[in-house]
Amino acid sequence: MKGVRASILGVVLVSLTAAIADEAPIAGTVKAIDAAARTVTLESTAKGKTRQVVVHLEPGARIVKFVRAAEPGKTGFVEQPLALTDLEPGWVVSVEAKHEGDKEVADTVKVVLER
Amino acid sequence: MRRTTWWLLATSLGLAALLAWTARPPATLADPNGDEEEGEHAHVPAPLEYADAHMPLGVWTDQAFIARGREIYTAKCAVCHGDDGDGRGPAGAALPLKPPDLRKAGSIAEMRDNYWFWRVSEGGLVEPFKGRGSAMPAWKGELSVEDRWAVIAYQHTFSGHQGPHVPWEHPELTLVGRDIYVMACVMCHGRDGKGDGSVAGTLAPRRAPQPRDFTQTEFKFRSTPSGQLPTSADLFRTITEGVRASGGPLTFGLRGHRIMPAFNQMPVEQRLELIEYVKSLNRAYWERREITTVAVPPPPPVTPERVARGKRLYADAECLACHGERGRGDGPSAPTLKDNRNLPIAATDLTKPARFKNGSRPEDVYRTLVTGLAGTPMPSYGDSLEPDQAWDLVYYVLSLSKGGERAAGAR
Repeated sequence: MKGVRASILGVVLVSLTAAIADEAPIAGTVKAIDAAARTVTLESTAKGKTRQVVVHLEPGARIVKFVRAAEPGKTGFVEQPLALTDLEPGWVVSVEAKHEGDKEVADTVKVVLER
Repeated sequence: MRRTTWWLLATSLGLAALLAWTARPPATLADPNGDEEEGEHAHVPAPLEYADAHMPLGVWTDQAFIARGREIYTAKCAVCHGDDGDGRGPAGAALPLKPPDLRKAGSIAEMRDNYWFWRVSEGGLVEPFKGRGSAMPAWKGELSVEDRWAVIAYQHTFSGHQGPHVPWEHPELTLVGRDIYVMACVMCHGRDGKGDGSVAGTLAPRRAPQPRDFTQTEFKFRSTPSGQLPTSADLFRTITEGVRASGGPLTFGLRGHRIMPAFNQMPVEQRLELIEYVKSLNRAYWERREITTVAVPPPPPVTPERVARGKRLYADAECLACHGERGRGDGPSAPTLKDNRNLPIAATDLTKPARFKNGSRPEDVYRTLVTGLAGTPMPSYGDSLEPDQAWDLVYYVLSLSKGGERAAGAR
């Protein structure tokens, strides 16, 4: 019985790890935006390799940048929503993406730097 | 007998140093706090082109400068690094490689000012940060040198340290270099870098050259004008190529004998760490405001006319008083020459380029002529010779040796 429990726990842990690993954020420089296809092409470097990744945006995906709070007495940053067409090549963004088949599908795009 | 003893001693010391260094090479990627997992601080030395970027001492505590840094930090950096420097800015939290916690005093105490300046200037565009996936932008195109220093002065306040961020406040900054120094240099240059190591006196008893005193401002081998400290690149060149002499141990991979071994087999990172430790022995490296170097223009073609003009200059500049008419180091003044420690010093035999301490390539000889050799009777001709004249003299000097003309023309 103990062996079965340990096996189940092992499977759960492995699955959880795989699921978490599958949703790693990707940071990179925006190279191209296709508003019709709702894709953003990023140039990203990881583990010593630079590659271009086409990220597909889910319907309703959030695109935000961070701005200083305008309300008096408030400090810190607040999210400001953007449209996909607001993104520009050269900006640095981070996306929360997961693998779906051979696609990277994102539900959030956060602007790290506008330049 | 005396020569044999000297040889045995020098060779034994060289081998002992090499064995000690090979047996326990010091780490250059120490990460006892696990900071590299959490953030993107890699414990690596700044590359040579940034090694001389040291913040002037008073700036670390200059409140106006810090306020300027705060303004820039708040506008450009806080979104990732956080308003408090905790690395938890909203944009930073979304990055695969999280920004480091700038409040960690222990971690910050290991980061040198030139490392910070390099990091802010180049961002994640350079290795090892690029390979790790750093999203840090390069700010050198957007922030002036002063603005970058201002941001660094401000971010330094997160660590809680109040004084300047320098090696004598944070010995952790040069620990790796110190380990290398203890293994490879201390025997000659001494524990405190005063050139008084236990074997220093036996290398050339009661005569020059003696090991360099790093705490003083006089350095022979420089690309800087007379009276100034060398650049990090100068120190790197000396460590890499060693110092030639008429005797001493042969060095693997390089021709000729050296009174100081060539450490060209030492990994570049370790040589850079060593340089940082050597500089930490002399506060003047943090007190100099601007570094000027002597430019070595491209060498012109060697012609008989140029060599003939060089010969006339050799006489006019009174080189022959020390080096002799035929360059053999036997001029009339040669027996009386002394260095700044009042030790007898020989005039270099110009017919043997392999013994030129500062190197025998045309550009090496040019640099020696123009900067002089501080602490020795060899003056600087930087003010008295035009570059073209200096090249004439270089080619004549190199023509005095058997293979000299070939060496002068070898490019």
